Amino acid sequence: MAYSDKVVDHFNNPRNMGSFKKDEDDVGTGIVGAPECGDVMKLQIKVQDETIVDAKFKTFGCGSAIASSSLATEWLKGKTLEEAQKIKNTDIVQELNLPPVKIHCSVLAEDAIKAALNDYKKKAEEKK
Amino acid sequence: MTMDGTQKTPTKRSELQMARSMCWHCQSEVTGEYFCEQCVKVQPLSKEMDYFTCLGLPRLLTIDLGALEAKFYELSRTFHPDFYQRKTDSEQNISLGNSAMLNTAYRTLKDPIQRAEYLLRLEAGSAKDIRTSPPADLFEEILTLQEDLEAYRSASDQDPATVARLRDKLATDRELLEQRQREMDRRLFELFTRWDALHSRQSRTDPASPDFQKDATAVLKEMREILSNRTYLCNIVNDLTATTA
Repeated sequence: MAYSDKVVDHFNNPRNMGSFKKDEDDVGTGIVGAPECGDVMKLQIKVQDETIVDAKFKTFGCGSAIASSSLATEWLKGKTLEEAQKIKNTDIVQELNLPPVKIHCSVLAEDAIKAALNDYKKKAEEKK
Repeated sequence: MTMDGTQKTPTKRSELQMARSMCWHCQSEVTGEYFCEQCVKVQPLSKEMDYFTCLGLPRLLTIDLGALEAKFYELSRTFHPDFYQRKTDSEQNISLGNSAMLNTAYRTLKDPIQRAEYLLRLEAGSAKDIRTSPPADLFEEILTLQEDLEAYRSASDQDPATVARLRDKLATDRELLEQRQREMDRRLFELFTRWDALHSRQSRTDPASPDFQKDATAVLKEMREILSNRTYLCNIVNDLTATTA
């Protein structure tokens, strides 16, 4: 099974690769892994007034995992925290046309989004 | 095993055995293990049969590799497609299917890691609630190592002293990781022994007792954790080896 053009495109030209400083108040960080394949994904969001103004990722894994996280950062930018919470792995599967054996990569991306959102919310709570 | 799980499984199993105990060819009752004694046709292995049963082993984690290999060779000779070339299409298909299952079963049980992964899948009934989340610092550590690796890859045109220093650091990191892998494996084999001991005790005491369930679940959970963490470590060690070699 070959990768779809969209996966190849994200893999060759990953969007928003990099990282923010973890300890900044406006940054939420999610680090997750897939025990099936050992891939590790870090996804970060930068938030202003409940809106995600920027997102970055670093993924060490297969092409689908990289594409899933690259796409996730694209989608996250400009979304409110509430909207971001609604991104589902199935949306990623559909957009990237992932084959069944690669669905866990999209699950990983969804987990990373949730983890980054939770991290940001926890920080915000603590600041109050 | 769950309460409703035990209700359903036996009926399904006995139905399957009923289906299997009738010869696909002459419809007489199959009394032989792999062949019908009436018409001497080869019989398909049940898809529901687990790999341990398939290779004549008890469902334990420490296995006799010699016995495993001997049984594998014996069954390979029994089912090998070469011996069915002049038989009917149905028999050729059965020979092919049985051989494929046999090969997968042998490959899975021969390797201790795959064997443990397989047992965890078999025990899914009692182990399915096990969700592991590896310690967050393991991911942090892997990400840092991967970043060091990237720095090393892009530093190859820099001055030799810097490159050598980076490579030395990565080599030390790799040694430490490999040491941890060995410790994990040692612990995993300890758990193998504990699992096996529990299951030989099971034959004497009540397997439904809460103590037995608790012990068995604890062993499965720790095995699951080690196997997951092991995958992450293996990946980074492989990356380190490939880059610094």
